Amino acid sequence: MQTAPFDYYRPETVAEAIDLLSSVDGARPLAGGHSLLPAMKLRVANPQAIVDLTFIEGLDQISQDGDTVTIGALTKHAAVCASSLLREVNPLISFTGRHIGDPQVRNRGTIGGSIAHADPAADYPTVLIALEATINIVGPNGARSVSAADFFVDLFTTALAEGELVTSVEIPAYAPGQGGSYQKHRHPASSYAVVGAAAFVSVDDGECTAARIVVGGVTGTPKRAEAAEAAIVGNPIAAEAITTAASHVPDALDNPMGDAYASGEYRVYLASVLTRRALADAFDRAGA
Amino acid sequence: MAATSEGKILGLRAHTWAAMGAYLSTVSIGIPTILHGLILSSSYDIGAIREDVYGTFTNTTPTDAYRGAGRPEAIFMVERMVDQVARALEMDPVEIRRRNLIEPFMDGHETVTGLIYDTGNYEAALDIAVDMFGYEEARKAQAKAREEGRLVGIGVVTYTEICGLSPSEVAGAVGFGGGGWESAIVRFHPSGKVSLMVGVSPHGQGEETTFAQIVADQLGVSVDDVDVVYGDTGETPMGWGTYGSRTTAVGSGAIMGAVDKIKDKGAKIAAHLLEAAEEDIEFSNGTFSVKGSRAEGKTIQDIALAANTAWSMPEGVEPGLEASAFFNPANFVYPFGSHFAEVEVDPETGEIDFQRYTAVDDCGNLINPMIVDGQVHGGIAQGAAQALWEGAVYDDDGNLVTGSLMSYAIPKAEFLPSFETGKTETPTPVNPLGVKGIGETGTIASTATVYNAVIDALAPLGVESIEMPLTPERVWRAMADAAQGGE
Repeated sequence: MQTAPFDYYRPETVAEAIDLLSSVDGARPLAGGHSLLPAMKLRVANPQAIVDLTFIEGLDQISQDGDTVTIGALTKHAAVCASSLLREVNPLISFTGRHIGDPQVRNRGTIGGSIAHADPAADYPTVLIALEATINIVGPNGARSVSAADFFVDLFTTALAEGELVTSVEIPAYAPGQGGSYQKHRHPASSYAVVGAAAFVSVDDGECTAARIVVGGVTGTPKRAEAAEAAIVGNPIAAEAITTAASHVPDALDNPMGDAYASGEYRVYLASVLTRRALADAFDRAGA
Repeated sequence: MAATSEGKILGLRAHTWAAMGAYLSTVSIGIPTILHGLILSSSYDIGAIREDVYGTFTNTTPTDAYRGAGRPEAIFMVERMVDQVARALEMDPVEIRRRNLIEPFMDGHETVTGLIYDTGNYEAALDIAVDMFGYEEARKAQAKAREEGRLVGIGVVTYTEICGLSPSEVAGAVGFGGGGWESAIVRFHPSGKVSLMVGVSPHGQGEETTFAQIVADQLGVSVDDVDVVYGDTGETPMGWGTYGSRTTAVGSGAIMGAVDKIKDKGAKIAAHLLEAAEEDIEFSNGTFSVKGSRAEGKTIQDIALAANTAWSMPEGVEPGLEASAFFNPANFVYPFGSHFAEVEVDPETGEIDFQRYTAVDDCGNLINPMIVDGQVHGGIAQGAAQALWEGAVYDDDGNLVTGSLMSYAIPKAEFLPSFETGKTETPTPVNPLGVKGIGETGTIASTATVYNAVIDALAPLGVESIEMPLTPERVWRAMADAAQGGE
């Protein structure tokens, strides 16, 4: 189907974009367009105006400053997986990018667009919460930063206020003894995560000193499995401890979503299995 | 299915409820009956078969023919039951099939359902498939994997299908609203190039190439000089369509009829120009020459020019070199084969890893092996998808919830292993080129093959059947139910 008619704007700076988003009635920002445009074609979304961000320069850079790596909001998924810097300093995000959608999606979709859209089955939100990422935002009232955990509010709902844009995402460069893993059960049609489990762990002398475990796809926003984290931190790394920790994952997943492909019950079950695999893989990668 | 303790199948009785949707569409009632019940003997010698088919109106989408239409369901039913008999008798799935295959035949085999199969050499195809797949080794590897707690499964199917629709008399008798013949026109231009107008329409199946090859091979012209014209009823003769693996099986009969007429007329003109008797003219590699004479003959391009200018034609022969022919097949054709698949099921999540597939098919003489393989590949993917991914899901209110390709899973290249294909060639006498249809064998065999492999993988757990598509959740639940039942 074709979209409803809309006006089209092509700002060249962030300031110009924010100005347009604030001043033009019913304006929506457009990045890769792989969520917004299908929604517009189905007439699920009918913005009166599109503010196309893709001509703003400088928002697609990946850079490192000390322990912090910054990924510009317009960085395409393909660029995230292709980045040798990310592969070296944060292989988890690199791996995640590689498992989003298909080549066409990865060549158009952007990290900023993905998180601003906040699809509950998207991959980045789960991993960014596990990495305790910071989301940098600019709006009519200036710049601010929000933690990934606070950024994702609900199904397709974020902490972004009217007229605000994501400009970049900050993630840590791995410290020695850290490792991460993302295990995804991919929907055979959409390639979205039916369930995605992320684990980011720190290991010292054979013992887990820190762990963040996040599950996406089951609830409105990705959920941190705190009981599972508590069960593994402070323990020597062993298969049994990992299994025990993973068995606490369902505690974090109230009111699981289900659909024709996978029921809520199955998703919760998968979350435990995938968390166990993610933890084992993360410890492995951490060198434990 | 009734069978002796030695695994000899005695009889088959089936009740089939076929969803028609809310309205009957073009060939809907023919699918679960003529294209299904009549082929239930498949590759086996079965003494008694009865099927009662109930067409059921539903408030879902009307159903109609989809690649294989009726035969995939028949082969699925038969091959599931053969596996169940084998399991009950603790017999190897290959061995039980071997014991029931119809002996090789070149002049017809009548099934208890009343079909006359054209030609068949079923065990030859099975032997090659067993060999290509490495069946014995695969079973050994499976036994070892099972010891490690892994769920590896091997699926086996032998099949015979009915296609090349159809003798027009049969079409009429069963109430099909059309004929089953095909037509073709071969037209030589003064340049010596050829237009072939066909009533059937290749739209992705590759017959532009196949048909051009037939004309080029038969008339000794370059394949590049044959323009296949199709799909535009303003330019093409009457045809009954591309379905039922009939396009080459029936269409080539019409092409061959026209080709023969061209050769006959060409021989008359050549005899005239070469001042010889028509019966002394022979045609070989595109040249008409006088038997036993070393004199230079006339190429078919020479003849085409002579016929189109008509400066000197034999008496009573019309100008031009063009022929039209119709072909009404005397029987259906009956391709057959053996397919093998290997899968591994994740014992925790129920996910199926589709690892290997070997297909050995017999579609009679091969015209273009690459196109034949392409048809087989696409068919396997499509049939496997029915087993593993594709399914129209309706909610309790009758709404289709798998209404887009974001929710309805079609097979992607990454889901599939590289297929191994092999062939045996048992020509049919039904058409001049001895060809059988190959468009649907993939879907006809692969759904059952992949399904059998998954059930074989889950056999140690006691799982006997799961509703298709075999989504991870369904497999997971079946494993959980089997575990509970076992306690």
